[in-house]
Amino acid sequence: MKVVLIFDSGLAGAGGKSNPDCALTATREIAGTAMLLEPHLKAIDAEIVATLYCGMDYYKQNKEEVVTKLAAMVKKLSPDFALCGPCFNFPEFSEMAANTAKLITEKTTVKTASMMAIENQNIIDRFKDDIAILKMPKKGGTGLSESFENMAKFIDTSVNHPENLAKVKEEYCY
Amino acid sequence: MKGLEKFLIPIADALSKNKVLIAIRDGFMYAVPVVIVGSLFLLISNFPIDGWSEMIASFAGEGWEKYFDAVISVTFDCYALLSVLGIGYAYGREKGVDKIESAVVSLVCFLMITPMAHTAFTNADGKVFGGFAFSNLGTKGIFLAMIVAIVATEIFAFAIKKKLVIKLPEGVPPAVMDSFAALIPAGLAMLVFFFVNMLFVNTSFGNAHAFIYEVLQAPLVGLGKSQGFEVIYQFLSTLFWFFGINGPAVTNTIFAPIHKALTLENYELAKAGLPMTNVFTSAFSDFFCNFGGGGSTLGLVIMMTFMAKSKRLKTLGRMALPAGIFGINEPIIFGFPMVLNVIMVIPFILCPVLNTIVGQIATAIHFIPVTTGVQLSWTTPIFISGYLTTGSINAIILQFLMLLMNMAVYYPFFKMQDNKYLEEEMKSANDKKKDELDDLSFDDLKLD
Repeated sequence: MKVVLIFDSGLAGAGGKSNPDCALTATREIAGTAMLLEPHLKAIDAEIVATLYCGMDYYKQNKEEVVTKLAAMVKKLSPDFALCGPCFNFPEFSEMAANTAKLITEKTTVKTASMMAIENQNIIDRFKDDIAILKMPKKGGTGLSESFENMAKFIDTSVNHPENLAKVKEEYCY
Repeated sequence: MKGLEKFLIPIADALSKNKVLIAIRDGFMYAVPVVIVGSLFLLISNFPIDGWSEMIASFAGEGWEKYFDAVISVTFDCYALLSVLGIGYAYGREKGVDKIESAVVSLVCFLMITPMAHTAFTNADGKVFGGFAFSNLGTKGIFLAMIVAIVATEIFAFAIKKKLVIKLPEGVPPAVMDSFAALIPAGLAMLVFFFVNMLFVNTSFGNAHAFIYEVLQAPLVGLGKSQGFEVIYQFLSTLFWFFGINGPAVTNTIFAPIHKALTLENYELAKAGLPMTNVFTSAFSDFFCNFGGGGSTLGLVIMMTFMAKSKRLKTLGRMALPAGIFGINEPIIFGFPMVLNVIMVIPFILCPVLNTIVGQIATAIHFIPVTTGVQLSWTTPIFISGYLTTGSINAIILQFLMLLMNMAVYYPFFKMQDNKYLEEEMKSANDKKKDELDDLSFDDLKLD
């Protein structure tokens, strides 16, 4: 199974607040938080084929373009699943991830979900009817590892056992 | 490891989501800015250079320090007062009631049970000194301040929730409405402390301050003087970080009041002209156990910046170094990453623990003096922090040696990671040649 990750520059290990103008980048390297996700994804036989990211100031200045290009790159790479997150409690990143997941759902056949903390309540309320948003703790909160396990189960179900997806979604998503 | 996580998460949850503990942790934080300002005044009036006092006196006049004492006293000697306000405010916020009113009620209740007549001090006419004493408003009152702020706000919030409030007709200005709404809840809290005061005055303790200090504060602070105290704190804080949990945010709910009390005790000992005795102060914890944030990663970041061969570690190091100098390492914790990284966990936990032990030994053999009551922001850079909190050049040398030690501990792990990345980068460069050149280019992408 092929998975594409959509991150902000901080999660990608390219500097978050210290590199906010980082332009859209795509890499096949497993860097930053992707290293945290990799073992959980390996457990469901999934491989990270690419990580797409940009800085948050760059996103704020080019919102529409960033979201469109991210979705277009996902379409081009055509993975089995695109994970937009984990966004922790970062508001801009959560907004970018939710918008991208929504566009991927509308314009491609790639399965997708976002992942963020309850602190982003307004973004969750705005998007939860359109996309799956996996639960996770805020930065420094408890239950990070468990939320990664749930994420892997969700991806596995979504790609390999879609008949069970409703049940899994109810359990792990907002 | 799963088992350990299953064991730790409920503890972290219980500590970091408990409203009382959150209020105590956050309540102390409100006093931090003024205490840092007070510390700067303390530093200037006691700058660690021989002949400093005389030098300033040569142009400012003898006794120049007394002007500084005013600032130092209201910040250090009134620490319990500042805490009772802060904790009352924070607990009011947690309980969802008027925050500033909670703080005011807490302050009043605290002062109500604080001795106001001091029979040990009488003037020539035989009149007893009346008023509040610094000895009750400073270090010795910290634990009572915590308890009073929580209990008073609890009573206050209880009355509000039970709607024990005076309702005024519509149209009354909101400020008037609010002050009347708080009348009965505030009265109830004060009534309880009226009886509490009466109770303690008639015991052998004489007042609530003496009772709480003897049965609670002294034994707990005593724990902070035991050999293993700081190592346990550092170990737990870093262990929580490994699981992605903000370590100090959890451990400080328990350890912060003890660190604070130990620090202020040193200040009071110095003020009384006695030798300072407490090793595990806030300054020791912040500036001799961790360099560059949780896991003491500054040494690692320096190696990443200047020695890494892989592009990825070099870039991350360069990004993380400026913040790392000021003790912030989130790019490393989540970007390296340290969280849930079973290989890096070894140096990540080992470095703060080793630093603590080395710092403890260096203090025991008098290589460095114990840290003074000076409290600096935890973001104060290495070397500056060591000198200012001890007044000793040896502290700078010690910090430098610790940094080298941290680099040595991290080195094999750093090298392993660097080689792995370098290999991946070379492989990916070769793959790229095989792939279409613009495989991962965002140019000319179309969605429709």
